Amino acid sequence: MNGSVPSSRAVAITYRVLLRQLVSRGRIIALSLIGAVVALLGWVVGRARDDDVFLPTEFNDQIRLDDAVATVTNIGFTILVPIVSLVFAAAALGDTREDGTLVYLWLRPMKRWPIVVGAWLAAVTVSLPLVVIPMSVSAYLHDVGSELVIGAALGSVIGVVAYSAMFVLLGLFVKNGIVWGLAYIIIWEGVVAAFGSAAAKVAMRGYTSSIVSERTGVEIDIGTLAQSTAIVVPIVVAIFALWFASVRLQNLEVA
Amino acid sequence: MVSVTNVTKAFGDVVAVSDVSFTVGPGITALLGPNGAGKSTLFRMLCGLAAPTRGEVRVLGRDARTDVAVRGQIGLAPQQDALFDRLSALQFVSIAAEMHGVADPDTEARRVLDFVQLPVDDPKPVGSFSKGMRQRVKLATALVNDPAVLILDEPLTGLDPVQRRRMIELFNELGEAGKCLLVSSHVLDEVARLGSKVLVIAQGRLAAAGDYHDLRDLMDDRPHRIRVRVDDSRRFAAALIERGLVDGVSIGADLEIDTTDVDGFGRSVAPVAQALGVRLREVAPLDDDLESVFRYLVERR
Repeated sequence: MNGSVPSSRAVAITYRVLLRQLVSRGRIIALSLIGAVVALLGWVVGRARDDDVFLPTEFNDQIRLDDAVATVTNIGFTILVPIVSLVFAAAALGDTREDGTLVYLWLRPMKRWPIVVGAWLAAVTVSLPLVVIPMSVSAYLHDVGSELVIGAALGSVIGVVAYSAMFVLLGLFVKNGIVWGLAYIIIWEGVVAAFGSAAAKVAMRGYTSSIVSERTGVEIDIGTLAQSTAIVVPIVVAIFALWFASVRLQNLEVA
Repeated sequence: MVSVTNVTKAFGDVVAVSDVSFTVGPGITALLGPNGAGKSTLFRMLCGLAAPTRGEVRVLGRDARTDVAVRGQIGLAPQQDALFDRLSALQFVSIAAEMHGVADPDTEARRVLDFVQLPVDDPKPVGSFSKGMRQRVKLATALVNDPAVLILDEPLTGLDPVQRRRMIELFNELGEAGKCLLVSSHVLDEVARLGSKVLVIAQGRLAAAGDYHDLRDLMDDRPHRIRVRVDDSRRFAAALIERGLVDGVSIGADLEIDTTDVDGFGRSVAPVAQALGVRLREVAPLDDDLESVFRYLVERR
């Protein structure tokens, strides 16, 4: 019992505890409903448009693909991915800080970063199925080919990884992390990112949308980055956010 | 085992702990003070959960805020009621044992749950537990790593008399085994049963330290203020002064009397009223609460 607990073990224990705390029936049902709406939109949009008989087939296919990409990026990457990530990641350590249970993680002979990584992994574990499944189903139901499905799934994974790290950090800085996170999603990801490719580079949606744009070949105003950049930058952002959260946790005054 | 040197903790303009110094060795030391006196803040600093604004805190010679390993030698039962509510008591304590690197977490968790007299295999989540049961889960968690230093913040709150007696016996056992226990309370009678070493904290300052019985004498000998309502205040006050029963009298709508001899005053007040033929309507202590005792101890420093 002398010395600190190995970091891999500390990650595993924190993950187990917080995963159990995060999974509540109410949260899962509410967020599954949002996912179901996104999937349903895919089905509706995919069938809503009749082909224009005066246009060549490839034109009609391109228009349907454009519509599908717009739906996936605008609804999926602007609403579903960040909101689901926010709900779980902001709560992962933020709730423990607010309700006073953080003391049971903090006052243990464990380094700080495994606690943060465990919390982030717990949030990612719950968020991924609630995001990737409806996004993939939605893309599939648009019936415009496999590239959109792959792009939507990959973009969702990258989005959840990055947003979760950012919102774990947020939960260690502010009370009511959900409110602050929603403000960020609406103002920054929703409005600022829409001002074009330059603005999109400072919003996560620019990166997730770029993945879909690259895979499908559909040009999007906010999705102009190369796929490698769109994958690497969010991962770097996530690593930085987790490191910063570890520093914050070390210096935090725990109630 | 625990040393606090010139420690001050401020939250903005509010000073929660002001220039407190003490050292504590093995055995039980009670930290006595009213609610809001700074006891929990002091405990948080001891555990490293908060950094002192000034001064130095050491547990086993090390700073728990920066030294990860020393946290394994501290057991804390915090005052707040929060637990991971979806876990059973066994899961909760077992996880704490794992986080401390205990070799056999399940066995150790069972041992301490049994020690605090909680049903070991109760599958109910701790969220459904009563206040007293939750308190004992916190105690079991604090004990599970067999710490050298135990910091117990108001651990008897919410326990019934039988449980209290059992807990106090348990604390005494641990103290006799050489552990350092710091136990906070705002109830004087609880402290009397916890042992002889007492630190009194009031308004963020260390008001007194030492043996409980000395402290008790000091508290009993302090000047007391008593309100007296009679028909003829002036004549009654004059009679009290004449008989040397009071140290001071303030005459307003009622009489406010200062005396260091409460028993003598209590014995004489009715006969004096009878002798004067005035009607005695009320005799009530104005400073019999613990707050007043602490205020007195602070002011006399």
